Amino acid sequence: MANLRIEHLNKRYGATTVLNDVNLKIEDGEFVVLVGPSGCGKSTLLRMIAGLDGASGGDIHIAGKPVNTLAPAERGIAMVFQSYALYPHMNVRKNMTFGLKFTGVPPAERERRVAEAARMLRLEELLERYPRDLSGGQRQRVAIGRAIVREPAVFLFDEPLSNLDAALRVSTRVEIANLHRLLKSTIVYVTHDQVEAMTLADRIVVMNKGCIEQVGRPLDLYYAPANLFVAGFIGSPAMNFFEAKVGSVEGGCARVAGPGFRSFDLPTASLRVGDTLTVGVRPEHLGRGEDGPFAVEGVVELVERLGESSFAYVRRADDRLFVAEVRGRQTPMPGERATFFAAARDVHVFDAASLRVSTQNDA
Amino acid sequence: MPESVSNITAQMPRAKLAGLLLFFLGPAVAIYSLFSIYPLVATMALSTYTSDPSGGRHFVGLANFQTLLGDALWSKPFWNAFGNNLIFFAVHMCVQNPIGIALAGLLSLPGLRLKGFYRTVMFLPTMLSVVIVGFSWNLILSPLWGVASGALKAVGLGSLFAPWLGLESSALVTLSLISVWQFVGIPMMLIYAALLNIPDELIDAARVDGLGHFRIFFHIKLPLVLPTISLVSVLTFVANFNAFDLIYSVKGALAGPNFATDILGTFFYRTFFGNQLQLGNPTMGSAVATVMFFIILVGLCLYLFLVQRRIRRFAF
Repeated sequence: MANLRIEHLNKRYGATTVLNDVNLKIEDGEFVVLVGPSGCGKSTLLRMIAGLDGASGGDIHIAGKPVNTLAPAERGIAMVFQSYALYPHMNVRKNMTFGLKFTGVPPAERERRVAEAARMLRLEELLERYPRDLSGGQRQRVAIGRAIVREPAVFLFDEPLSNLDAALRVSTRVEIANLHRLLKSTIVYVTHDQVEAMTLADRIVVMNKGCIEQVGRPLDLYYAPANLFVAGFIGSPAMNFFEAKVGSVEGGCARVAGPGFRSFDLPTASLRVGDTLTVGVRPEHLGRGEDGPFAVEGVVELVERLGESSFAYVRRADDRLFVAEVRGRQTPMPGERATFFAAARDVHVFDAASLRVSTQNDA
Repeated sequence: MPESVSNITAQMPRAKLAGLLLFFLGPAVAIYSLFSIYPLVATMALSTYTSDPSGGRHFVGLANFQTLLGDALWSKPFWNAFGNNLIFFAVHMCVQNPIGIALAGLLSLPGLRLKGFYRTVMFLPTMLSVVIVGFSWNLILSPLWGVASGALKAVGLGSLFAPWLGLESSALVTLSLISVWQFVGIPMMLIYAALLNIPDELIDAARVDGLGHFRIFFHIKLPLVLPTISLVSVLTFVANFNAFDLIYSVKGALAGPNFATDILGTFFYRTFFGNQLQLGNPTMGSAVATVMFFIILVGLCLYLFLVQRRIRRFAF
């Protein structure tokens, strides 16, 4: 159990910068998920915490102790890899005890830890088997077991579910969440799957191009994304964006206008006439029912029916598409003309620098 | 959905199927039979005959083998050659393959610079002609004008020098080491390729488990390339018991001094083709060749049943 502090961390390979001045504080017992598109540097960051890759600059502290110069095994971490990385020539028991042998854990203690981890992960029946005789889900549990017996201060997970099929992914996700509840340990978890991020994390770190875009609790990221990237990355299908400009400013309210949607007033003091804006509304917040301050109209082009709801792809007057999620049985028909509304608190406005414009709606 | 092959062949007329099989398999079967199976069978057949001075051949059954293994005139050089061949093989197994494994391990270290250069340099002797290798080493080790004694003197070890290739006690081991020098690139390349196959994440996992490069090599990499090492051992066995060219190019067919470097290959050569005062004897030579074939066959069978079945290839 320990906290983790990352200060001004940089990683460069020659001229390419992989991580750029990353700062992050992870509290004791926190489950933090690093999420971002491929190539954003999340896996590199995890490998640097593990000590598998060196830093080009900056510091990593685990439990208040600088670990930059320490080998992976001396950092008090354990890692679960995407490919499980079980030793193919050792059975499950040896896979779990192998590392302990080299860190000076006495045999009796090793056996106790393996028995405990096996019980926790329902691996008792599998201890004498070899990895080749295990299913993907079982291998994943062994990999987690191998991490648990190290009794690390920090668990590191590198996309641990991406090699599993969809059903197993859901159940293993629940198991990992339970494990965290049981062990109360600090976990850093890398994924590109935002569902995993949203469901597992105490806090999510959204990364892009080697930088941290936003750190926050899952619902904060969803309801108040700090910038355009986070707004577009979190949520599926992605948020609809509309180009807009500030038409007029009057008494602490800016009039936001743009092609394809009805102009609305934004209660903010920070905007000037002529500022370029981007208005974002999530498909699931666009409804056909009650009137809201935000309204957009178009012709339904395509409907994807999922059962509990349908996604309507709607073409606006200015020939752009947007997506609206329609709940219930009244699915729109292609060719139909429809108007969708959104409540004020579901309308996100971003300025020319892609940053969120804070409004009184946020409160 | 595409139709399965067995369905297609089942619906085909018999004659057409036979024609197809002949078309695809015929050439390979014909060439293999002509150049591998026929010579082997013909050699075995010839080993059961004897020729009289008039040139006529008579069937004698296994009499040639009785002579070869029972008559001291034949059995002594035969067992000498067999024993030398075992030593030749043992030196390869104990020197060539461990060095090959070690070089492969070094080459596969992350962060090693000039990998391509080392790889090429160490593989270079393998690509040289055996005749050139034999001739060069003959010159290098020559006590009259070789550079070996001078080189040893230069580092203060001049007293260690001896005419290794000329001494009965050291000629065979020296020749074996020359062969090791030439062919160490082959186990190195095969094992290097196997080492590259081990996924990086597995090595990362071992590092997180607290192992250094040395332990990673012994506890993780080595067990995982064991199948390749056993394959290399079998290749070494077959190549060593068929060896001939290096001995012949360095020592000639008499494999001197006093047959100290005589191996089955050179023994067979003298028997079959004759040498100096010894007349060529194709039927006796075929008997030697047949015995060599069975030695290798027995060795391979032992390997297959005792080793290969216990070794498992790992899928990553």
